[in-house]
Amino acid sequence: MRTLRILFTKELNATLTSPIGYTVAAVFLLVLGYTFSLTLFVTKVANLQYIFHQMYVLSILLVPVLTMRTFAEERRSETLELLLTAPVSELSVVVAKYAATLTLVLGIFALTLIYAAILGRYGEPDWGPIYAGYLALALHASLLVAVGLLMSSITESQVVAAALSIGAFLMLWFADSVSYLLPPPFDSFAINLSLIGHFKPMVSGSVFLSDIGYFVTASMLALFLTTWGLAQR
Amino acid sequence: MTISSIDAALRDNAPTRATEIPAISAVGVSKRYGSVTALDRLTLDIRRGEVFGLLGPNGSGKTTFMRLLAGYLLPSAGRLTVAGLDTVRDSLAVRRRIGYVPESAPLYRQMRVGEFLAFMARLRGLPEPAVAAAVERVVDRLALGAVVNKPTRALSRGYRQRAALAQALIHDPDILILDEPTNGLDPRQIIEMRELIRSLAGHHTVLMSSHVLSEVEKTSDRVAVMLDGRLLGVQVMADTPDLESWFLSLT
Repeated sequence: MRTLRILFTKELNATLTSPIGYTVAAVFLLVLGYTFSLTLFVTKVANLQYIFHQMYVLSILLVPVLTMRTFAEERRSETLELLLTAPVSELSVVVAKYAATLTLVLGIFALTLIYAAILGRYGEPDWGPIYAGYLALALHASLLVAVGLLMSSITESQVVAAALSIGAFLMLWFADSVSYLLPPPFDSFAINLSLIGHFKPMVSGSVFLSDIGYFVTASMLALFLTTWGLAQR
Repeated sequence: MTISSIDAALRDNAPTRATEIPAISAVGVSKRYGSVTALDRLTLDIRRGEVFGLLGPNGSGKTTFMRLLAGYLLPSAGRLTVAGLDTVRDSLAVRRRIGYVPESAPLYRQMRVGEFLAFMARLRGLPEPAVAAAVERVVDRLALGAVVNKPTRALSRGYRQRAALAQALIHDPDILILDEPTNGLDPRQIIEMRELIRSLAGHHTVLMSSHVLSEVEKTSDRVAVMLDGRLLGVQVMADTPDLESWFLSLT
């Protein structure tokens, strides 16, 4: 546990001392602030569904910027050799990087709680979909960070890691579109693989265990593959 | 054959007394990447407290052997032990006993030297109250006082190498593995590093690699020559008046 804490602190410090995290947060909040104000003034409806959908898309584009350096940079600078020859398990290294990056992403998401506070102050929003929406975003972030780490662990180029992550996220996003071309039972498999298919019901306020299970399972699978990949050397 | 030459031959290659567990023992160790064999059935014992030099050109398998010992790579075949512990089965226990400096002397660029050493001390399992004292000890020993508050990215090559060696010594390991420790250093720094390595002998077992004959000659108690992943021979330095001729005769 102590090792995990040491590695987590080191990872979080590395992220907070780099301008990348702040840049991502600034872009994220700028775009969301613009959308929130504009939509609120036009529709006069106190909900955050459109904001959640925009956060879904923005995180697909911006999370890879945060995850790309996790392993790729360590591999390029050869500090991964220092880390993996110290008495720490591969699992600790992976979990620490995952937890630190997820903390940063959730921290950025938490800044958007101000929008919910504004709605609560000046309107009467339905809080159920808002709570469910934030749960969906947290699960979505977990999956994106886990897959982003996996992609970063297989290359020493940060750009390649980011490109692979975005590619993987887009394929997951549009997986259900492929279902029209596939015979049963592969069509339903493709539908069930779809990222948006599991995200959409939650932001509308319908929380199903199957959707939560999808995000948790996919995150764990990606973390397992990252750990396994690191151990194959 | 004279008594002294028989004695020398016995000391040379063979293993330590039956009662003494060698610091490092490799039996038929190979490392393959697909069809490429980076290390081919290497068998070798390294005794406790000696400075052992690995000599060979780039690509001869020195770094692969060191990475296998440090637990960064896993052997494809054979058995590798450190102080009697298997590097695969007892990997974490082995890593606790080893201090390793890779060839490029990597450091975390975003950290200051003192911060980096404290991080490595904690990572290597030193209890929190002992961390500051351990950092102070290696900073003194390696004369890093002038740069302890500097970011590692601002260090010269000489200081980088020293900081990398300091992290390897921070937990006072039994065994030190130094991959090309004098690489890229200027003549004065090479002399300092050489003296430092010699001063580590006895208390630590030191395995160092180099492709420079004179470096190995001046620092090692025994030397092994490697080529194309194979071990060509082992010699006691004191019995090798002409290392160059011996090296040429093997390669």
